[in-house]
Amino acid sequence: MNYKTDFANGTTTVEVTGRFTFGDHSSFRKLIEEVRGHGSSTLVLDISGVDFIDSAGLGMLLLARDEGEKSNTNVILRGAQGQVKRMLEVARFDTLFQLEN
Amino acid sequence: MPVGRDSRAKYLVAVPQTVAQEDLSKLVTDNNLWDATEAAAKYISGQSPEDFSSQRRFSFCILPSQVGRDWLGSLIRLNCDTFVECFPELDLGDLAPLVGKKSLPKHDLLVCLSTRSAYHLPVARKFVTSLRHRGLIGDGVASSVEMAVQEAFANSLIHGNLELATGGHLSMDRFKELGEETEHRLASGHHGARAIILTARRRKNGQVVITINDQGNGFSPPDANATAPISRKDTTFGRGLPLIRSLCYSVNFLRDGRTIELTFDDSQSTTALGDTAFLNDLETRLTTSPDALRIAQNATILIADDTLLSREIIASYLRADGFTNLVFAKDGEDAIAQIKAHNPDLIILDIIMPKLDGYAVCKAVRADPAFAKTPIIAQTALEENEGRTRIFDDGATDLILKPLNKAELIARTKIHLENRLLVQQLQAYQARTQSELELARNMQENLNPTPEHYRGVGMDYGMRISATFQMSSELGGDMWGLVPIDAHRLGVYIVDFAGHGLGAALNTFRLHSLIWSEQVDDQTPDVYLQRLNRHLKGLLPVGQYATMLYGIIDRQNNTFAYASAACTSPVLGNTATGEARYLDGSGVPLGVIRDARYETREVPFDKDSFLLLYSDALIETTLDNGQFLCEAGLLKMLQDTVLEGGRNIDLAAQIADQFMDRAPAKLDDDFTIVSLQAASIPSAG
Repeated sequence: MNYKTDFANGTTTVEVTGRFTFGDHSSFRKLIEEVRGHGSSTLVLDISGVDFIDSAGLGMLLLARDEGEKSNTNVILRGAQGQVKRMLEVARFDTLFQLEN
Repeated sequence: MPVGRDSRAKYLVAVPQTVAQEDLSKLVTDNNLWDATEAAAKYISGQSPEDFSSQRRFSFCILPSQVGRDWLGSLIRLNCDTFVECFPELDLGDLAPLVGKKSLPKHDLLVCLSTRSAYHLPVARKFVTSLRHRGLIGDGVASSVEMAVQEAFANSLIHGNLELATGGHLSMDRFKELGEETEHRLASGHHGARAIILTARRRKNGQVVITINDQGNGFSPPDANATAPISRKDTTFGRGLPLIRSLCYSVNFLRDGRTIELTFDDSQSTTALGDTAFLNDLETRLTTSPDALRIAQNATILIADDTLLSREIIASYLRADGFTNLVFAKDGEDAIAQIKAHNPDLIILDIIMPKLDGYAVCKAVRADPAFAKTPIIAQTALEENEGRTRIFDDGATDLILKPLNKAELIARTKIHLENRLLVQQLQAYQARTQSELELARNMQENLNPTPEHYRGVGMDYGMRISATFQMSSELGGDMWGLVPIDAHRLGVYIVDFAGHGLGAALNTFRLHSLIWSEQVDDQTPDVYLQRLNRHLKGLLPVGQYATMLYGIIDRQNNTFAYASAACTSPVLGNTATGEARYLDGSGVPLGVIRDARYETREVPFDKDSFLLLYSDALIETTLDNGQFLCEAGLLKMLQDTVLEGGRNIDLAAQIADQFMDRAPAKLDDDFTIVSLQAASIPSAG
């Protein structure tokens, strides 16, 4: 998993690419720490470039959501495609996150 | 050894050059990988997976300790079913021996890795890609299989081998802790050195069974019905099991929970596979039985009906028309037994029968690849639409209503037999052409440099060269090559003839001989292409053309000068930063106009540069997301690969591996990709 963050006008956008699976915990932790420093009111996780996610990856997304709740940050998942979209549907993430196309 | 066995069986074993012979011997004897008294081993060593010819069948492929993505790619490239990482602590325990264990069915693919290697690799993806390429599963179900294998694999690795508990609510602190504990255990000789083994085999009924075996403490699976929705308080770690269950036909736990067995059963893969299996079956039948179906009246026809009178009526109709080769079945089970015993050319099947009804017989027959194409005429008194639709869904070829009309029965019988006859003849013809094409394919493959050659030439110029070539299902028109000019200048070309098939292949032979008869010497790329074009225009029939790039890497002046005849845009990048850009590939294709002019373009090529040349299959193949690999996508892939792997990787091979993961198993067009990068090893000259 790779990511690129962009911070502007109180919104942090993180472009996540590649496979997002159990082995990516350290990159993900770095991502969360980096985003925490921004103090944004909205965090957009652009996952359109993610081509595979497993249940551990979903777990990490939930973690991002928990973090967001603590700091009053609205977490948005954007652009899920293919297998990722299917996983979000299976796990009923529409009830937990704001999903955008 | 039993008397009379004159020579010991030989295992051919592919071994990476970096694996020391003593480590390997220790691995083999300590772990009893195979029974050494039964079979001797012959080792063949190679620097990378490309070095092992696909024409050769290997019994084992040894992977180096701390397997990287390059060697993981051997799962797709090597003609081998068993892959074992050679790491000193490997102790197979109850899983030994991997091959030849009487109590275990033979696998079609087995991969044995250390936990510490497996943790950082996309194992599930590569395993599934390999299953696709071996025709064990269809492209259509690959995504579901990959999801299930990924979850099961993660479970076995994290909960099994690493013994990490991930249940309960996951806070950020707990997550951090878990991450550190994971790193710690991966580094330990105890947890990190446990083995994880993935196997796959295809059952006769078309089901594919995948097992994932770990060496942890085992666990008792929770209740199968525990599929509570994910609440916001819970994490999805360890939630993989319900997901796995939803994706598989069945899930079983063996070895006290240290083996997860997933069974996949999908009509998509059976139909896709049925075709090839049927062809194989046909080939054997054509060669072994000279009296295969030649004329319709010789056909074997099975009449399955529970009433004697019905059977007799049908038989009398058929006999009257010259069909005498009749077989009978009195119920559904009997029908299946008769089909297996006689392999009939046509089945006339009653729907309502004891034991198994016609629907079930149809399904069972179609599930067996050997009978996937056998025509079935279902006879029924059912007039309602539901039953009629259903029998077609279950695989019947045609339907005939009771009471039977003699003329109609005969007409339908003849039509289906003639179809079968035609299909068989066509397939026999295809099989013969296929073997001739095979020869041409080998010849064409030999036009491209061998790994030994391009690697050696690369060393001479202080460069690392990597290439992957995969021919389309038919013959293709791709070719590439290296032209050493002097001590510091190396020429490189890549060619793609329009279309594929025999015509395109012949053209590559033509061009190849032109390239090698032409003295390159000091010609600039534009002049070289102009001359080649003029020759080729004279040889090629109107309407046929090729795209080509010819360039010269000058290691002394740090330049890459090239001319392009409508070639795909080459990519020039930096191995230190991963940044890359497309170069201009425009120009008139070869063979279109006699006096085409080309332009030599020059760009810097220094100690941090890499160059990627490729055929259009890389950017014009529909990937698993339904789209082509876009321009930005390729640059991103290159950047990620370079940043992750550093400069001393086989770049083209790694890009090809990522492409294969997402492309259909059978490509419509030739796929060629070549990378040349300045290496950190100093030039020998």
